[in-house]
Amino acid sequence: MTQFKPVRDVVVVGVGLHPFGRFPGKDLATLAREAVVAALQDGGVWWRDIPVAYFGHVYYQGMSVGETALGALGLTGIPIINVENACSSGSTAFWQAYWGITAGVYDLALAFGAEKVPGGPVTVTAADSPERYIGGDHMMAGYALRMRRYMEETGAPAAALAQVAVKARQNALLNPYAHRKQTYTVEDVLASRPIADPLTLYQCCPTSEGSAAAVLCAREALGRYGLDPSRAISVVAATLTSGNYNGRGSDHSAFSPYRTEPAGRAAYEMSGLGPEDIDLLQVHDAATIGELQQIEALDLAPRGEAWQATLEGRTALTGDLPVNTDGGLLAMGHPFGATGIRMVHETVTQLRGEAGPRQVPKARVGMAQCSGAGDVTTVHILAR
Amino acid sequence: MSASTESKVVSVDPSRLRLTDGEGTTGVFLGMRCRDCGIYVFGAALFCQSCSSGDLESVELSGRGILYSYTIVRVPPAGWPGPVPYVLGEVELPEGPHVLAEVTDIPEADLKIGLAVAMALQKVQDGQSETARMVYKWRPIPQFTGVGQEETR
Ligand SMILES: [Zn+2]
Repeated sequence: MTQFKPVRDVVVVGVGLHPFGRFPGKDLATLAREAVVAALQDGGVWWRDIPVAYFGHVYYQGMSVGETALGALGLTGIPIINVENACSSGSTAFWQAYWGITAGVYDLALAFGAEKVPGGPVTVTAADSPERYIGGDHMMAGYALRMRRYMEETGAPAAALAQVAVKARQNALLNPYAHRKQTYTVEDVLASRPIADPLTLYQCCPTSEGSAAAVLCAREALGRYGLDPSRAISVVAATLTSGNYNGRGSDHSAFSPYRTEPAGRAAYEMSGLGPEDIDLLQVHDAATIGELQQIEALDLAPRGEAWQATLEGRTALTGDLPVNTDGGLLAMGHPFGATGIRMVHETVTQLRGEAGPRQVPKARVGMAQCSGAGDVTTVHILAR
Repeated sequence: MSASTESKVVSVDPSRLRLTDGEGTTGVFLGMRCRDCGIYVFGAALFCQSCSSGDLESVELSGRGILYSYTIVRVPPAGWPGPVPYVLGEVELPEGPHVLAEVTDIPEADLKIGLAVAMALQKVQDGQSETARMVYKWRPIPQFTGVGQEETR
């Protein structure tokens, strides 16, 4: 895979989040704007200094919502780009912001994302697609196919998968922004309503509303904009890949989830870091199986062994590789356009040492991986 | 509905399934083979999905395969015109591609990875369109040889 070389060091100077959940009284632009204002305040950034903005969202809520959201701050004539890349729309917006700055096009950039996901099973294709009659376009059914393969090939028991969801809820309990704030047991998870066997309801992320934002800056430009270097977190890798099916069509195998492997390896190469350097990890856990497969695809556990690491508590907040420390998609919720930037928000918060009761001690390097339909994968590595 | 409308039957996806008789009750899977690296894809492709070669030939693919994975979908996607729950099977063809479709005529207890299945066509008319679609499904078959090992059930 071709990976361009970064030119300038890029840092995240501000992050902002709107709680995830259901907010029937708020439109998408209002949701989005609240996270933007929070990120600007967090970084001490003047809105008038922002030269470009990328807005991730998926579900149609009117044209140019990015412009509408930012309009209330005062339209300054900057380029505003609306980004749709499925569940990785937000992380794609962040990736674009990073590359715009490192290449020297901009000193600063705003990446933000928001979503109001409708309820019910998520499909990828248009309503009149042949897939509607074939029955194969069903996000959670896809995860269920992977999960059955994984369990068959690795011997992972259902309880190990359920433990991923239990852990997510425990982390979310320490996060005031989370959609789901009630814990449950492995037994509760397995006894919850079956969605697509072997996936039960509590092993699927809720569809949510919410927003997230991040302000990025060239490190060398911090002084020019009066920004505080002490809270800035470096972006040391930013990679994005899209589908490559190798001719197999819909291959829901146990060991090649989406394009995570090439995106992860490119991120290690770009940063000069290895799996041993990662102190905490956010991955795309739209379903419990997703977390296990992503951990393995990122070489953070041997193939077929992430389920054991989960049962041993190694991926919990107190473990040696805390995963989805804010509750992940499973408990934090999943407003598509916001999710990838929410992962950046959590990573930055942890690396600054500002995560309060869910703080991972001595966290220096964090990784965020986000997947989307079209076999999109983004991987970002941030470092203090 | 008139008899003439009822007789109007089309393939659910002409790039993947060609109907081979007048009633549309038999059909064959379509795909592409790369003349450079030899891989097969299910359905249409302009370039090889493995080596990016543009030297592809249209081929017919096997209508049989083995069950690679399956799930019982209990909450269907919007607009699904079939029964609920339904079994969704991912089937590996001898040529390599995986084909997702409903698995019919099988008790839940008999579902098993490695099961031999064959394509079966089913007419689907859902009221939203006057055209009936012939949709490919998977149905268990007693015996199948072709993915390197012999399987019997
Ligand atoms: Zn080829």
